[in-house]
Amino acid sequence: MATHPAHLGHPELQPIHPAPTSFVRRYVFSLDHKVIAQQFLWAGLIFLFVGGTLAMLIRWQWAFPYRKVPVLGPLFLRSTGGVIGPANYQNIFTMHGLIMIFFAITPVLIGTFGNFLIPLQIGARDMAFPLLNMLSFWFFLVSQLLVIASFLVALGPAGAGWTGYPPLSTNIGMPGLGQTLVVLALFFTGVASTMGAINYITTVIRLRAPGMTYMRLPLTIWGLWFTAVLNALFVPVLGSAALLLFLDRTFGTQFFIAGAAAVRGGGDPIMYQHLFWIFGHPEVYILILPAWGIVGDVVSFFARKPAYWYKGSVYAMATVTVLSGVVYGHHMFVTGMSPLLGQGFMLLTLLISAPAMLLVFNWIFTVWRGSIRFTTPMLFALGTVFVFGLGGLTGLFLGDISLDLYLHDTMFVVGHFHFTMAAASFLGTMTGLYFWFPKIFGKRLDERLGKAHFWITVVGLTLVFGGQLLAGYAGQQRRLFDPFQYTFIQGLRGLNRWTSYFAFALFAGQFLFIWNFLRTVFGRAEAAGQNPWEVTTLEWTNTTSPPPYHDFDVIPEVRRGPDEFENPAVKEALGRDWIGQAEEMPEPPASEAGAAKA
Amino acid sequence: MSALRRMAAVAAVLVAAAARADPRPERGYGLPHDASLDGHRVDWLIHFTIIALGIVFLAVLGMLVYAAVRHRGAHVAAYDHGNTRKSALVVLGCVGIVVVVVDGNLFGHAVDDLNGHFWNFSKVEADPRTVRIEVNAHQWVWTVRYPGPDGRFNTPDDIVETNGLHVPLGVPVILQLASTDVIHSLYLPNFRVKQDAVPGSITRLWFQGQEPGEFELACAQHCGPNHYKMRAVLSVMEPAAYAQWLADAQEDARRGFDPDDAEAHWGWEWKRL
Repeated sequence: MATHPAHLGHPELQPIHPAPTSFVRRYVFSLDHKVIAQQFLWAGLIFLFVGGTLAMLIRWQWAFPYRKVPVLGPLFLRSTGGVIGPANYQNIFTMHGLIMIFFAITPVLIGTFGNFLIPLQIGARDMAFPLLNMLSFWFFLVSQLLVIASFLVALGPAGAGWTGYPPLSTNIGMPGLGQTLVVLALFFTGVASTMGAINYITTVIRLRAPGMTYMRLPLTIWGLWFTAVLNALFVPVLGSAALLLFLDRTFGTQFFIAGAAAVRGGGDPIMYQHLFWIFGHPEVYILILPAWGIVGDVVSFFARKPAYWYKGSVYAMATVTVLSGVVYGHHMFVTGMSPLLGQGFMLLTLLISAPAMLLVFNWIFTVWRGSIRFTTPMLFALGTVFVFGLGGLTGLFLGDISLDLYLHDTMFVVGHFHFTMAAASFLGTMTGLYFWFPKIFGKRLDERLGKAHFWITVVGLTLVFGGQLLAGYAGQQRRLFDPFQYTFIQGLRGLNRWTSYFAFALFAGQFLFIWNFLRTVFGRAEAAGQNPWEVTTLEWTNTTSPPPYHDFDVIPEVRRGPDEFENPAVKEALGRDWIGQAEEMPEPPASEAGAAKA
Repeated sequence: MSALRRMAAVAAVLVAAAARADPRPERGYGLPHDASLDGHRVDWLIHFTIIALGIVFLAVLGMLVYAAVRHRGAHVAAYDHGNTRKSALVVLGCVGIVVVVVDGNLFGHAVDDLNGHFWNFSKVEADPRTVRIEVNAHQWVWTVRYPGPDGRFNTPDDIVETNGLHVPLGVPVILQLASTDVIHSLYLPNFRVKQDAVPGSITRLWFQGQEPGEFELACAQHCGPNHYKMRAVLSVMEPAAYAQWLADAQEDARRGFDPDDAEAHWGWEWKRL
């Protein structure tokens, strides 16, 4: 014990509570972080499917404008005869963005992995505030219900883009109730995220097991923890923007209304953009930091090699976290921002690429001279590195103001942020799902289906978002109902159509995952065993799959970092290439010790 | 009667001119044709960055693929935490090269291009040849106001045009932008410039056409269901043709002026921003 900071863990404060027996307390209003993680998982995956379907509608429109949408048209577009109209179209792309960001990727990446992994990987029996954790999910569910409700009211859901810029998002542009409901949903999901963030931050600080020093945390925990810090700091800003917008819409205030529509001077539409992007730029790191952490761990686990320059990765993530709060102005280069301010934001934006590149190099040097096991999670991790590389590098173009004068609001932006926020976050999520599925459900997914899913997904994502980059490079603006109104875009009909074909194939490929996932969860499948991947972190080495209600029978005592692979001493003593974080190193056999003395 | 006939003839000519306004289609997948004084700066920086980052990306991808193939589990992994000073320096060196070559180049050029050209309004305002035009964006129309002979805006001699913008060749043009309803963004793909039009404030951009012809003026900011239709045509004209067009338009404006049409009397004192 002497070598371990004694203040950590407080095992005496984490007694084993009996598991609740009633169905409601166990599966519905559960305080168990593992059940809450699964609730977020299901809620997120369902909305991921909805968001993906909306994406297919957008792609249909760009490939075949004015033509009847097969299957979905007769079901959901009856008022326009099965065709997507301009008003439907703006609802579709707005809701696609909002659903994917706030109601699909956020709950799965942060809600599921944060809840499931933080206590298990740091050696705690639950979150610091289990009740707050439960409330976080139920607030989130209310926000999802508000989104569903917005589809059912007259004039449809929100239509001012996912960013909801006023005055378009006020009654001047969007008079329907749907926009109000969605603004309210954003507020509620912000409350849920803040609750979760407070909980994650506190849990990591206070409930680490004895010996789990900060520099022994798995990189996944670092990613999730920095995410929580960003959420706690910046989501409340989004909440305030949403609240002011709600007041403008509902009570006739004029915080964001100016110009001819304003009474007595009005407010300032640009103020909303500042509030939105102070939150919005950290948000893109909120959606990628957990993926970075997961990839950092998984790459090391399956290269059977310690993570290269672990501390460098931690510092890089810390630097990104700090810088992410001061680069947001690059979303507003063409709003009439002061040139000096703009150039300051440009410098900071270009600088934030350095820590991100550092992470990529660390991953690659981790794989270098490893002994790679190409499991499904490893493939997805490497795929994440690939698409994140494309997304990160294209971001450099957009961080530069003079290029932004041309590229801003074009499909180039769309391609760029889909490579990072969509492709990298999605592949990072899938890495985590395939990797921790055995721990969450106690069963193993089919590896062959998983690998087929990987190849279709990574090739599909690259082609679809690559097509968007090309369209943007040629100048095509984003969010056009019919891009071919413009003569200069006429030549891009083929490109847009092919990109859509790839998108349909990508969407179809996801059914491999759905089939694999549902079949394994609800059917019979090979039992996972405690540690099927032969890795080192506490959730695999010190508890069963799935873990019991109290996670750990005995709170583990951590002795080393998360990536002790191929240590010669371990190999000698244990005959395997890994040793758990809390595993005791056996004394060398007596004969050898005697021989050494002699 | 003859006055009426003459007006009809003028109208017919104008309609024919509008119908002729037919921007050149772009064929390839590359950047649109550059018709401006400064667009080549953007093009050069994009191309340099594509090539530099392409090399970086392929090199890193090559390493990843090589590592993946070479270290396929056929041998034992190296026991290396990469936490020596040398390991850190290797990574920092790789990052440093990219940051200096790509980021440094981007930043340096952008600062020069902005302060010397794209955002150098003091140079353009001081130029005696500069043409000043006001643009009012609203759902889903671009309304354009030329000051007329008195050089002042919102006076009876102003020329007002809808979804069209006429400028002379080879001289700087400054646009001051406003919006009456929601945020729009004036985008000239062939000139590599873009500027938001924000309700409640005046923004500006400038450009200079280097070849005569018709080019598209697009809205780049989602502004409602008909955003996709918010398209105008920019005509860059030889100075003589421009003078003629201006004179004709002046005549039309004088005849068309209606002191009671309050809606049409927007416009502001030219802002010295």
